[in-house]
Amino acid sequence: MSDPRKAHEQEPTTHFGFQDVPESQKAEKVAEVFHSVAAKYDLMNDVLSGGLHRLWKRFTIELSGVRTGNRVLDIAGGTGDLTRKFASIVGPTGQVVLADINDSMLKIGRDRLLDKGVAGNVQFVQADAEKLPFPDNHFDVVTIAFGLRNVTHKEDALRSMLRVLKPGGRLLVLEFSKPGNPLLAKVYDTYSFSFMPLAGKLITNDSESYRYLAESIRMHPDQETLKAMMVDAGFERVTYHNMTGGIVALHRGIKP
Amino acid sequence: MLITGLLAGVEAGLNRALRLDGTALPRLQALAGKVIAVQCQSPALELFILPSGDGLQLASQWHAQADCTLTAPAASLARLALSREKTAVLHRPEVSLDGDSAVLLQLAGILQDLELDWEYEISRWLGPVATTLLAGHLRSRVNLASHGAASLKQNLADYLAEESRALVGQREADARFAELDQLKLALDRLEARIERLTSANKSDA
Repeated sequence: MSDPRKAHEQEPTTHFGFQDVPESQKAEKVAEVFHSVAAKYDLMNDVLSGGLHRLWKRFTIELSGVRTGNRVLDIAGGTGDLTRKFASIVGPTGQVVLADINDSMLKIGRDRLLDKGVAGNVQFVQADAEKLPFPDNHFDVVTIAFGLRNVTHKEDALRSMLRVLKPGGRLLVLEFSKPGNPLLAKVYDTYSFSFMPLAGKLITNDSESYRYLAESIRMHPDQETLKAMMVDAGFERVTYHNMTGGIVALHRGIKP
Repeated sequence: MLITGLLAGVEAGLNRALRLDGTALPRLQALAGKVIAVQCQSPALELFILPSGDGLQLASQWHAQADCTLTAPAASLARLALSREKTAVLHRPEVSLDGDSAVLLQLAGILQDLELDWEYEISRWLGPVATTLLAGHLRSRVNLASHGAASLKQNLADYLAEESRALVGQREADARFAELDQLKLALDRLEARIERLTSANKSDA
C-alpha cells in the first residue's frame, strides 16, 4: 500500500508567484486570485497600465488578421475586451468563443458583452487551456491575453491550442515579458513590487493578489524562452513583438 | 505603439462624430467585414480602415488581404479627407485604386453625406430649450458671417479688378488669352509657310 502523504510529497511542484506549490494546487490558488479581483479587474487594468493595455490588445487584433466568417477562440478572455472587437470583425457568419477557467471572470465578461449588445456570434465556455473542449482543426485564430502565465502546464496548453487551430491558423500570445533595457527593468521592478500591491490594497482591498501578479510576471518565461516553447509545441514561423520596451510581448505562431 | 495610440484617439473621435449622423452607422454596417488599405506614397505610410456597424476601425497594420487598396500622395489623401467632392478626388490621375473600388466609393459616399446632428449632442448637456435658443442664435450668426464673407469677397474682387485696376478681371484675362492663342496659331501658320517657301527655294536652286 502506498502512503498518501508520501504520494503528496512526491507530487511535482510548480511556481505560484515566488512560492513553490504542488501542481494540483496552482489552478485553485490562481482561481482564488481572480475571484478576488474579478469585480474591479478592468478598473485595475486601466490604473496599473495607465490605459496601455488597450493599446497592447489593439495591436494583438491588428496582428491577428481576423476576417469575416472566421472562428476565433479567446482563451482567458476575462472581461471580453478582445472578444468584443473580434465579434464585430467576424460578423454574423463568424464565431467567437470566450473561454476562461474562472467562472467569476466569465460571468463578468458575459454580462458586460450582453450589456453592450454583443450577442449572436459569441459563445461563453468555461474551459481549461490545457484541455480545450473543442474539435481538432476548428479555429482560424486562437488568442490568449495575459493568461498563459497562470497556466500550470504551459507546454500542454500550447499543444492543446495547436490541436484546435486549423492548419494555417494563428496563435497569438499576449503576455508580460522581460524589459530589454536594464534601467527600465529596475524602474519596472520598483513599480511592480511597490505600487502594484499598494494600488491593489487601495482599490480592491487585496494587496496579495497584486503581489502574486507581480511575482507571476517575473516567473513567466522571457521572450526567447516562450518562442522556443511555441516552436517545441509545433508552431511554425514563430515571431514576437516587444511592446513598451519589452514589458509586454506579443508572440505569434502559425499551425503548419 | 505611438501610431497605434494615435490611431486609437482618431478612431474614438471619428466614431463619436459618426454617431451624430443617424444614417451613417447603418450604412457602414453594409460594409462590415471589408478591409480598405490606404497607402500614402510620400511620406510612406499605410493605414487600414475596417467599417462596421459600430463605426470605423483604424489599424496601422492588418495581416489579411485588403478588399480595396487606395494609393495616393499625401496631398491627394488630405484633399480626399477634407473635400466635399470626394469622388472627384478619387478620379484624379495620381490616385490609383486596386481591388473592389465600390467599397471605397461607398465609404467615401457615406463620409460625404455626413450631416452631424450637433444639436442633439448639445441637448444632452444643456436640455432642449437652451439648445434651441443657442442653435437659433448660432445659426443666425453663421448665416451673417457667411453672407458677410461672400459679400466681402465680391467687393474686394470688384475693387481690385475694376476700380484700382491692380488686377486683371477674369473676363478681360480670358479675352487676352484668346487673342494670345489666335496670335500663336497665326505665328505657327506663318512659320510653316516660311518653312515651305524655304524648301521650295532650295529645290529650285
